Parts: sequence; C-alpha cells; structure tokens
Amino acid sequence: MAVVDAAVAVEAGPVRGRAGAWWLRNLEIAVPAAVVALVALACFVGPLVLPVPPPIGGSVLESYLPAGSPGHLLGTDPNGNDILSRILHGGRSSLTVAVAVNLLGLAVGGTLGALSGYLGGATDTVIMRVLDVLIAFPSLVLTLAVAQSLGASQTNTVLALAFFSVPAFARISRAATLRLRELPFMAAAQLCGTPGWRVLARHVAPNIAPQLITFAMLGMGIVIVIEGALSFLGLGIPPPAPSWGNMISQGQQSLSATPALVVWPCLALFVTVLAFNLLGETLRARWSGR
Amino acid sequence: MTVPTATPAGTAPSDPRDDRAPGRLATVLASPGTRLVGKRVLLAVPIVVGVSILTFWVLNLIPGNAAQQLLGPEATAEQVRALEQELGLDQPGYVRYLDWLGAAVTGDLGTSLVSRQPVTALLGERLAVTGELVGLAFLVSLGLAVPVALLAAYRPGRMFDRVSMLVSITGLSVANYVLALLLVLLFAVELALFPAIGFVPLSQSVAGNLHSMALPVAAISFPLFCFYTRFLRGDLVDQLQGEDYITTARAKGIGPGQVLLRHAFRNSSFGLITVVGLNLGTLIGGTVIVEQIFALPGIGQLMLQAVNTRDFVVVQACVLVFAVVAVLANLVADLLYAVLDPRIRYGSR
Amino acid sequence: MRRLRLRYSAALAAALIGVAACGGGGGGAAAPDAAAAGPPQSGGELTVLENVTFAGGWPTGLDPATSTTGGANVTQLSAIYGGLFRLAADDDGSNARVEPHQAETFELLDEGRTVRLKIRPDLTFSDGTPFDAEAVAFNFTRAVASPCTCNPRWPLAENGITVVDPQTVELRFSRPYAAVINSFPVSNTNWIVSPTALQQQGEDQFKITPVGAGPFTVVENQLSSLLVLQRNPTYFRQGLPYLDKLTFQSIGGDQPAYQALLAGQAQAYEGLSTTPLLEAAQQQGALTVTAQPPTSPYVIQLNTKAAPFDDPRAREAIYAATDFEAISQGLFRGLYPVSQTFTGPGGLFHQEKVEGYPAHDVERAKQLVGELGGLEVKLGTLRSYVAEQVMTALQTQWQEAGITVSTETYELSTLVQQFNSNQWQSMLQTAGAWDPASGVGVAFRFRSDSPFSGVADPELDQLLDSAAATVDQAERARLYAEAGKRISDNAYAPFGLAFAAASLATEGVYGPGLTTKIPPIVVNTGILWDEVWRAAPQ
Repeated sequence: MAVVDAAVAVEAGPVRGRAGAWWLRNLEIAVPAAVVALVALACFVGPLVLPVPPPIGGSVLESYLPAGSPGHLLGTDPNGNDILSRILHGGRSSLTVAVAVNLLGLAVGGTLGALSGYLGGATDTVIMRVLDVLIAFPSLVLTLAVAQSLGASQTNTVLALAFFSVPAFARISRAATLRLRELPFMAAAQLCGTPGWRVLARHVAPNIAPQLITFAMLGMGIVIVIEGALSFLGLGIPPPAPSWGNMISQGQQSLSATPALVVWPCLALFVTVLAFNLLGETLRARWSGR
Repeated sequence: MTVPTATPAGTAPSDPRDDRAPGRLATVLASPGTRLVGKRVLLAVPIVVGVSILTFWVLNLIPGNAAQQLLGPEATAEQVRALEQELGLDQPGYVRYLDWLGAAVTGDLGTSLVSRQPVTALLGERLAVTGELVGLAFLVSLGLAVPVALLAAYRPGRMFDRVSMLVSITGLSVANYVLALLLVLLFAVELALFPAIGFVPLSQSVAGNLHSMALPVAAISFPLFCFYTRFLRGDLVDQLQGEDYITTARAKGIGPGQVLLRHAFRNSSFGLITVVGLNLGTLIGGTVIVEQIFALPGIGQLMLQAVNTRDFVVVQACVLVFAVVAVLANLVADLLYAVLDPRIRYGSR
Repeated sequence: MRRLRLRYSAALAAALIGVAACGGGGGGAAAPDAAAAGPPQSGGELTVLENVTFAGGWPTGLDPATSTTGGANVTQLSAIYGGLFRLAADDDGSNARVEPHQAETFELLDEGRTVRLKIRPDLTFSDGTPFDAEAVAFNFTRAVASPCTCNPRWPLAENGITVVDPQTVELRFSRPYAAVINSFPVSNTNWIVSPTALQQQGEDQFKITPVGAGPFTVVENQLSSLLVLQRNPTYFRQGLPYLDKLTFQSIGGDQPAYQALLAGQAQAYEGLSTTPLLEAAQQQGALTVTAQPPTSPYVIQLNTKAAPFDDPRAREAIYAATDFEAISQGLFRGLYPVSQTFTGPGGLFHQEKVEGYPAHDVERAKQLVGELGGLEVKLGTLRSYVAEQVMTALQTQWQEAGITVSTETYELSTLVQQFNSNQWQSMLQTAGAWDPASGVGVAFRFRSDSPFSGVADPELDQLLDSAAATVDQAERARLYAEAGKRISDNAYAPFGLAFAAASLATEGVYGPGLTTKIPPIVVNTGILWDEVWRAAPQ
C-alpha cells in the first residue's frame, strides 16, 4: 500500500501555499461555515427559543402588516402569518430538501458515475445509457405526473428533484473518474492487485470529491429555488407550510403590490447560497490537497 | 419548421458503398473517432425509445384519461367507453405504445386526442419559439460565462473575481420567474426599452424578433450564466493551483495567460461540457413559467396543457422532441470529450 | 371519416375553475366618465390579455359544439360569433338584463313550455351564407346532442327543435322552463356557427378557423396562446365594431398582465383576481380598474352523504367556526360583501340576509365539536393562489374551534375524481351565476343528481326546479328565498364573500363590460366587444 500512497502523494504534488496568511486561509472556511451554521441554527433552533409566533395559524385580520409592526418584525403575509417566523420555519424545509436532494444525488449519482468510469466496458455503457434516458426525460412530465398521481409532499418533492440530480452527479463523477483512471497511481494500484472497491473508495472517491462537492454546493441554491418553481406545477412543499421557495413563488403573484413577500425570503436564500458557495470552493481547494 | 422524428435513418453513419476514394474513406471509417460517432449514434436510438417507454408508463400512472377529460364527470360509463374505443384508449398500454411507435418511426406523430389537430402542426411554431429561446439563452450565457470565468480565474481573489462571484451568486439565488418580473418592471415598464410580452417571428423581422426575445432570453440565461461562471471558475482555479501539467507548462516558461487558455481551460472544459449537455436537454420544456410571463407561444405551455387534458399523443410527441435534443446534446458532449482528450479518443472504449 | 364527438363541459370547467377567479374588484374602482370620453371613435387595434389558467386556455379550439372550455372562453366566442342573446347592463352594473342580439324577439308560450325565437332578418355569416332559422336549428341540434355539461340541458320534448319559417325557430319543452332565455349567454346554444363553413372545413379545421356572424373574424389562432381577429365588414350592426383588430393573448397571471399593461404592450386584461394588485392598479392611476358586480359567492360544500357531515351537528359546527367577514376584511380588504345564500349583489334574486342563518360563534362550534367527541375534516379546493389563501384562513379558523383540519389542493381532474368517488368531505368552491337557474348555477352544487353536489334533498330539488320553470319573477324570487332558507336551516353549506374579477384597461380604451360594469355571466364579465373603442392617441 505504501507504494500507492506514495504515488498519490507524488501525483498530487507539493502542497501549494495559497495567497494570504494562515489566518486568512482559515477565515475562508470559518466565515462561510459560521454563516451556514448560523442559518441552520436560526432555522432549526431559532423558533424554539426566539419569541416568534408560529408560521401558520395567524389571524387573517392581521394580514399585510408592514415590517416593524409590533410583534411582527418583518410584517405579516396575506393570511396574517409572521414573515420572520415563516422564513425561519421555511428555512427548515428548504434546507432539509436541499441537503436531502444533494446527498441523494451525490451518493447515488456519484457512485454510479465512478463505477461507470472506473469499470468501463459494458457496465459503463449500461449505466450511462440508463442515465441518458433519465436525462432526456423531460422534468415537466415527471413533475406533473408525481403531482397529479401522488400529490405534493416534502418526500415526493425530494424524490422528484433527486431523480433529476442523479444523472448530473453521475456524469460529473464519471468524467472525473475517466481522467483519473489514466493517471499513474491508479495503474499502480491496479498493478498491486488492490481490489476494485478499495481503489474506488481509497483513491477515486477522494479525488473526485472536490468536483462533486463544488457541484453539490452550487446545487444547494438551485434546489431551493426549483422547489419553489415546482409549486406552480402542483409539487413542492404544500402551502400553508412555508419554504423559501414557495414563499417566493406565492409572493411574486402580486410582486408590484407586495414586494416584501418576495424580498425577505430572497435575502435569506442569497445569504445561504453565498455561504454554501464560499464553503464549497474553499473546501474543494483544501480537500484536493492543493 | 420541421419536427425531428424518431427515424434514425438521417443520423446513421454514412454508407460505405457510397465512396469514391475507397482507400481514404476506409481509413476514416476505421478511425476510432468515426467508430465512436457511429457507436454513439446507434446507442442514441435505444435511449430515445427508452424515454418514450418511460413517458408512456409515467403518463399511465396519472389518474384519468382523455376520454374522461373530454366528456366531463356527468358522462355515463357507456359514453366514456364509447369514446375510449374511438380514441383507441381501450387497448392495453403496450399495444397503444407499439402503435404509436410504429407510426412515429415513419414520421407520423399522430393526431391530438383533444384538439384533433395533427401533432406536427401543434408543435411546429411553438417548437421554434422555445428552441430559439433556449438556443439564444445558451449562446448568451456561455458567451459571457467563459470570458468572465477566465478573467476571474486569472487572478483569483482579486476585485474582478469577488465582484463576479457576488453577481453570480445573486443570480443563483433569484428564481428566474422573479427575475423575469423584475426585468420587465425595469426594462419594459420603467425604461420602455424592450417589450414586456409578445413574440415577433423571425420570418417577420429579425430585429423585431431579437427585440421581443431580449427579456425572456435574459431571464433564462442569467441564472445559467451564473451557474456556468461559478462552475468554470472553480475548476479553472483548481487546475491552475495543482495539476502538474500546469507546473510543467510554467516551468517551460509559458506565460500565465497562455497557461490559462491553452492548458487549464482546455481541461476545465470537460466539466463545463458535461454540465451544458445536461442542461440543454432538461431546459427545453422547463421554460414554461417564463413563457407564461412573457406570453410566448412556446412548447412548455402546450405540454402542460396536454398533460392536464391527458392528451398523451401530444405529450409523447413533445417528449420525443426533447429526448432527441437531449440525446444529441449529450452525444455532442461525448464527442467533444473525445476531441479534447486523446486518451479517450484512442482508448479502449 | 370518423366523427368524433369531443364535447365537454364549458360550464363545468367554468364552475370548477370559478374559484380561480376569486377576489379582486370591490367598490371604489375608478369608473370612467363616459361623457368625458367623448363619442366613440372607429379604428385602431386592441390587445387583450387572458389568464392562461382560465380564459386564456382553449385547448380544444373555438367551435362552441366541440370546445371543452367554452364557459371560460365566452369572451373569445362572443367576439367571433356575437351571440343570439347577451347580457347588458347600465354603466354602473345595475338593471342587468339578457337582451336579444342576433335574435330579434322571443316569446314564451304555454307557461314556459314553448319558446319562439325570431332571428333578425338579413343576417349573414362572414362567409356570406345566410344566418337564418335553418342555421340556428342546425346549431341547436348540434349543441344539445353533445354529451356534455355545456349543452343547455333543455328539457326538450321529442323533436323539440323546429323551424317555423325562415326567421323563426321554435323550442318545445316537456315541462316549463322559463329560465331558458337567461341561460342562453352561458350555454353553447348562444354561438351560431356557419353550417356551410363547418361542412367545407370539416370539424377538425373549423375549431381552428371558425366562421360566425360576430363583430370579428379569425385571422390567426394558436390554441391557448394567441387569437388574432379582424373587423367583420358584414357585421349586422351598422358602423360596428369600432376596432379594426382585436388580439387575445394568453398570459401567466395577474402580475405579468399588470406589467404588460403598464409597459403598453396590451391594452386590456380580464379577470384580475389578486386584491393587492387591484389596489396597486387603482393607486397607480394609469389604468382604468373596473370592479364588476359580484354574482357568485364562495361556498363550503359539505358532503352530507357521508361521515362526518351526515351529522347535522358537524355541519353546524362548521357554520359556527367559519368567519367569512374576517376573511373578507383580511384577505380582500373588505371589498366584498359576505353572502348568506347562493346569490351575490350583482345577480338576480339577491337577498342580503337569510333568516336564521347560523352565525359565527366559536364557543358554539367548540361545544358542538365536544358533543361529537371531536371532529376531523378534510378540506379541499382547486389550485389557485387566492382560493388557497382562503382555504388556509378557513383551516386556521376551524382549528381554533377545535376541529382537526387537513387541506388538499386539487387539479381539475383530481377534483372531479374526488367527487366521483364520493371520498370528499368539504370543498371550497363558488356557487351561483347571474341567474341562479342558468349555467352552473345553484343546481350544480345542490341538486341531488348533480355529481358536484353534497346534498340529496328532494324538497330542495323541487324548489330549484320550480324556480327555474316559473315565468313570474316575484314567484321565482320567493322560491329561491325558500331554497336559500332550506340550505341554511339544514346547514348544508356555509356561504362566503361574493366576488367578481375586475377588468383592467389602459387610458383611452372604453367599452361595455371593460370600463363599465356588467355582472359576470359565469366567471368573467362578458365584454361587448363590438362596442369597445380606443381614443386616437393625442
């Protein structure tokens, strides 16, 4: 094994110093990680400890209150629900969906792609053609079919979105694996008689992880946004339960009159997506050992 | 406007009997590149068939059929049965599928169950609208994303990089339907630079057409641009900071700009090609909300309505078109790999 | 060639989608000063936007006998065909009446068992063929033969459609049906197509390029997306229509439509239902906002044929737990009056109060729920932003009374499935029409034999049938009052605010039903397109 590890080390080359001092480099991880943690904390713990009203069940007589109203820091929505509370609770479902979709896509798609790229031959052909079918299958039809036969729910939304993310992860994983396969250390590992699964786990996975993780981090925001778009078609988190996506998609129906309904969830989304992106990029730089 | 059909005849590898320079042609045919193309094209057929089977199956999971939809809930069971018979909906699923497939192979996409119009007529112009929308969106988004990502990666962490990152992350966190509305409020309502709705066919006026497509294309391409920029910039920085071919190139005294363009970008384009290939297939038909906001007579709306009225013939035809486009996009992506990476071109695959 | 009979329910679609048009348009709208607008001017083009989920969808074409969405497409159909009758009103929406249009006169004989329609002389279709009694009878036969809810459901006697003379058609019914005239504008018998053109083109092509005798003729028709019409030079009303060109364009909702009007790419929008946008449009000032007189109230249908609402106490609990006044105030800014029966202030036979209507009383609701040992309820509605908001508000109110509520949003097809399988418990819908007897009026929601009714009450059926049959208006009013009381006494279905969608028009656009008030025929107001005109730009 030592040979292989050495090969990896040689292949990876010397660790490069990045611009800036060490504290700056750590800051690059610390700040976005802290923001992500803060957002998660606010959404998952915030409603338990902060004095916010529940996200649903407000009095309809308190509808459309402006920001800064007593008891409603960000105002209320058409049903008289507290917008701040809906953003915090909505973050829970949005983050849950986004993490679940990306994890599913990463695990299933990443594995399939790596297998496909590593094994090649018939396995590659079969996996990639099946995925090609999924890619070529229009999302609109599946979305409508799921919505009209199974109905809207968080689980169905996650499954539908994951369905579309698997081929993407698989393609990226396969492309990365293909490039990796030609590198000397892989050949070395194979020559040593290392079992395939071990090569995949020890050498392929860590090396293709950076690309996949970048993609997943990019995907976080996209999934949150698309979940909102799905509600146009009858899927997505079913209202009145909030999610950032469905808050935005409902608010935009009267955008000119009620911009606040759109602005706040968009802002929450922006901060979160920004943090995930920064984190993703820094992590990749670290993990790839460069 | 012609509609692509399922027939593979048009895309089959050239006929070897048709050669005038046998020696040279044989070389070309035997070359790995040509074999790859041929193989991929042949493989594309089962994919398109697979998609159509999957579609048929998924559509049959949705409750209700066109006969029930057309007759309404007050219809008696006999009336529904009679119409089902007229429409051929009483046949088992596989029979209907094979009938459809048989016709589709000959280029006959059938007649809408609901409007009784030939499907090709329904698809015709709508396909052109959505096709133009998506095509322009890709051109614009890629055309901007590549230079921006290159510039950003040239000096990572500098001002340009940071600004482009902020912009692109904004784009990723604004839904395109919200963006579309904001673009209209700014450029159509306030500044009156572009029309808010409407579509001018290319045949009528090229300038008018582009003018009418400006805002919808912007709404679709901005998030794409942001996505590509982030993706490409990330990969470029990665390449520059660690790959030894870059080190080698630098050691050979190649300038940083050359390294970026000739080496890093070339390698990074793999990931980008993959992503673009993926997007292209799925974006078509995913434009339904933007089409509705800009009152564009596109295909998303047609398909949405066809699913709602259980007009499976129309849905199948739309899906077929998308599938062909998606498969072609992926095929092109695969071939580009081969062109860009000799190891794949001459590899065992 | 196989003749396909794809008939469907304009009326049904209209009724079910009706919920989608909830909201918008109360009092206080800027009513245009018709006098200041000056005399109508001829010429010009107009683009009108229609919501793609309702009037902007015509997937089955525009032949009234084969369209499945005729109820939603009244506006396009009246522009192409004109109509035998049409609903007109004074500028403020009062004095609404169904007037003969392409019909000249009508006579109700034999206590409403026979109707004689006299067609205007010298009418021609835009293809030059005569629009006579023969053509009308041909159209009637075609319309009533269709197995669909958009057919007028006349109680026709055998061979009940006869041509008396070239100008006169006679309808004979097996029982009195006095509401027949008021029902014309909501049924497919109102739109008369050219039989010759139909024959020449064939049914499949005709639905794309139909030929009628209305104010406009079809230039281009892209299903559910774009309909371009031009002035019909042979239109029977001298000097009309004013417009040279009329274009209908589908659009994805109130917000994009509002923007498009502000940007000047369209001049009118029908069916604005989002209250905040209505207010914004009024404040903005550049648009004429015309709130139409509401005719159809919300109704919470309760399925009295199955648990839990087979128990009157459960129904009463819902009445007591529901506070539509609060919903009207909160969601709709108090723009709409709350109804206690199936009529709205803009409709015929409206009554403001029903004696003994169960009041909102949370304590009473809690007490009833306690007696029942708890109450668990499924509440559903058709997918629409406004209806879902109302449903959410109801859910909150009911839960305050101790009722456990789960909500579900349906597509048209899945909603139909719920009703057919009798699995539903409560549905937020709309009820009524300008004339309760016409179209998808009250019988649709309350008659025993309607698939969309949760009520099976022979006495109520009897009342509704009599009201539809009776010629005498005072007697009809009395019968409907009694029906409303019966619904209230038995707690069959609580009613909510009555609404009608609003129309938007840019400056310099005028027309009846667009910038003046006319009660909605079904969901949207029927705009009298031949009288719509544009002031020349200054």
